[in-house]
Amino acid sequence: MTTVASTFTFLTKRRGGLLTVIGLICVLAIFGIVMSDKFGTASNASNILEQATPLALVSLGQTLVIITGGIDLSVGSLVSLASVLLSGITAGDPTMMYVALITIMLVGIFVGLINAGASLYLGVHPLIVTLGTGAILQGVTLLYTQTPIGKMPKGFDELAYGRVLGLPIGAVFTIAAFVLTAVFMRKVPLGRYIYATGDDALGAQLMGLPRTKVLFFAYGFCGLMASVAAIFLVARLGAGQPYTGQNFTLTSITPVVVGGTLLSGGRGGVMGTLMGVYLVSLLNNLLNFMSLSTHYQLIIQGLIVIIAVSVYVENKKRV
Amino acid sequence: MLTISNVSKSFPGVKALSDVRLEVKAGEVHALVGENGAGKSTLTRIIAGVHQPDEGSIEFDGEIVHWPSPAAAKAAGIHVIYQEFVLFPNLTVAENIFLGHERRGFLNGIDHSRTRQDAADLLNRLGVKIDPDALVAELSVADQQMVEIAKALVHKVKLLILDEPTAVIAGHEVELLFGRLRALRDDGVAIIYISHRLEEIFELCDRVTVFKDGQFVATEAVAAMTHDTLVSLMVGRNMSDLFPAKAAVGETRPVVLSATDVSVKGRVYKANIELRAGEITALSGMVGAGRTELAMALFGGLSMTSGQITIGGETFRKMTPSRAIEKGIGLLTEDRKGQGLAMLTDVSTNISASDLGSVSQSGWLNHSKERAIAAAEIETYRIACRGPQGAVLTMSGGNQQKVLVARWARTSRKVIIMDEPTRGVDVGAKAEIYRIMRQLADKGLAVLMISSEMPEVIGLADRVFVMREGVITGELGPDEIHEQRIIQLATQKRAS
Repeated sequence: MTTVASTFTFLTKRRGGLLTVIGLICVLAIFGIVMSDKFGTASNASNILEQATPLALVSLGQTLVIITGGIDLSVGSLVSLASVLLSGITAGDPTMMYVALITIMLVGIFVGLINAGASLYLGVHPLIVTLGTGAILQGVTLLYTQTPIGKMPKGFDELAYGRVLGLPIGAVFTIAAFVLTAVFMRKVPLGRYIYATGDDALGAQLMGLPRTKVLFFAYGFCGLMASVAAIFLVARLGAGQPYTGQNFTLTSITPVVVGGTLLSGGRGGVMGTLMGVYLVSLLNNLLNFMSLSTHYQLIIQGLIVIIAVSVYVENKKRV
Repeated sequence: MLTISNVSKSFPGVKALSDVRLEVKAGEVHALVGENGAGKSTLTRIIAGVHQPDEGSIEFDGEIVHWPSPAAAKAAGIHVIYQEFVLFPNLTVAENIFLGHERRGFLNGIDHSRTRQDAADLLNRLGVKIDPDALVAELSVADQQMVEIAKALVHKVKLLILDEPTAVIAGHEVELLFGRLRALRDDGVAIIYISHRLEEIFELCDRVTVFKDGQFVATEAVAAMTHDTLVSLMVGRNMSDLFPAKAAVGETRPVVLSATDVSVKGRVYKANIELRAGEITALSGMVGAGRTELAMALFGGLSMTSGQITIGGETFRKMTPSRAIEKGIGLLTEDRKGQGLAMLTDVSTNISASDLGSVSQSGWLNHSKERAIAAAEIETYRIACRGPQGAVLTMSGGNQQKVLVARWARTSRKVIIMDEPTRGVDVGAKAEIYRIMRQLADKGLAVLMISSEMPEVIGLADRVFVMREGVITGELGPDEIHEQRIIQLATQKRAS
């Protein structure tokens, strides 16, 4: 009973945004069902879930970084680099595919560690560090290739179109990744130190909390997730493209702030981000049904970020 | 328990500690006093493992120790409660208490129910009623302090250091704190108590060590000291020299600003107040009596729900900060860091901040003029800094306050309001600030001071208004200012 009660307080008081976002998802879904008979179908639903996979994974990493009080603006370029490396190294050869997969995951982690290290030891704000590494990575990508490159072996697209328990593989993977991360953040001390660092960096230092470990972990994880996102993206597109990740930088931040994580750090959570991802994906899907071009999606995303942040700023003032 | 011998520490450009010693026994409350810049905070940080000494040794619990990090000192049984708490507002009370020492359960994961239970036990031991599930952001400052103390009890604390613990709490809460500290002392904990409030040292502490300018002055039993001997050890002069002479009694000075029936929703009710040129007027009363709110209303920082303000022959029903500045009112807020100074910029930028017109020519900032003005103000107010381009962040509280005074004195032609002008400032700098306030009054300004320190009100003010629960309960003229009368007005049940 106490658990139920405390979970309820936890949800309403500390994750108030989560309930709002779930509410919005329901409103949009009902709107869509009323508007079009094709919207409410199982195939459209699994389509939304599948398409949300790469965004969800990038946003998952981004959430941890933002909770530390930082931000990672290099994720978009990293997704591009990882995807061209994946199909470029593989070049249709199933054996090379494993080499390529391991390579891009290591590259992702490496880029994250560089981001963390530069902000730790050079004292440069992560916003600038990652803006810089983002540009560098985009340059490296374009040096490597300027057109779609390579080919994945037959059957790799199963990752995009296959089903487990009737759900897209990507969606199952996403939910598993989010749940594991959520458990990590709540159950493992390092998870709590991530919150503490974002809440009050100086205080965390005075407490002797491992700031270095926190930042290396958060940015490393964020880089790894960007690379994993690239895997699912390449599975759908068939080959890596040098600009494929471009939009991920902004779009990975949208679900995080929509889900109630404060940009200033210290408060929020990954499950909010997952709901944010579904909200954004649902909205984009609806706009497709209304046959509005993808350009409108960008405009609307931009507006959502600003509105979401303003809503939570207001919340914070009241606390 | 702790013996510090011949410790020295330098930072680039400053020798913070030179050859100091300190000896603290188990089961005593040991006061550490000295002006700002005496080296108390540096020593605290060395004991806490934040800084390492350049020279000298630290002996703790019978062993010579070298702590490379705060974590090492903490593991040895040292807990420091800094002036600004190390609490994480978005974590719960229980999470804060066990941060860094999480209670583990299934698969070595964090055990939330045990964390909560153990936190509740610790808080019970302290005899306080705080919900372990509440976010720290939702607690009162006094409760936050108790959470800090509860953190110390998580591991067997042997040495507890408190840096200005009563700067943020008042009255009854101070009594509670002292009760807890005495109980800890009786349990054999060694306590180092740092405070500017000397009365507290006589009430609580067993021995006292005085530092001055980074050097050791003396360690004495508190029982063998008087208030005056302690102050003279700290500053090398007597307490009565602290306050400048008051304005001459008997003259009637012109009223510069009068507020009639001013109310601020929920905080101030129909307050009437008159400020006179050449006088220092004090607004006295308990914390939360509405003093700051009334001052804010005069400055336009809070909007009036009724009443009017007359200044320079003009009457306003609505005041805004920009209008207030235009009419010659200045306000130094109580929160220097949050609402006053741009901490990361230099002295000259801060001094000219409210008066950029005077340092610009046809819309462009004239930096050399700005620096020249700053240099002159540094001279006038005797601000100790590395010149106009010195960083404000690294200056002592007293000197930061003087920078703010310099800024507002430039634009305040009629009234200057100072909210707790000497909070967190050492005795020497207090005397300086009092002198400056008197100077401003002598120049013809009306100075309005909000102060919670009784000696300050009595020693400095020419006129006192006392508030209680948003109502002005009395006005005391020059020959009516007595401690007893003020306390009576500040605490009486009904306004007469």
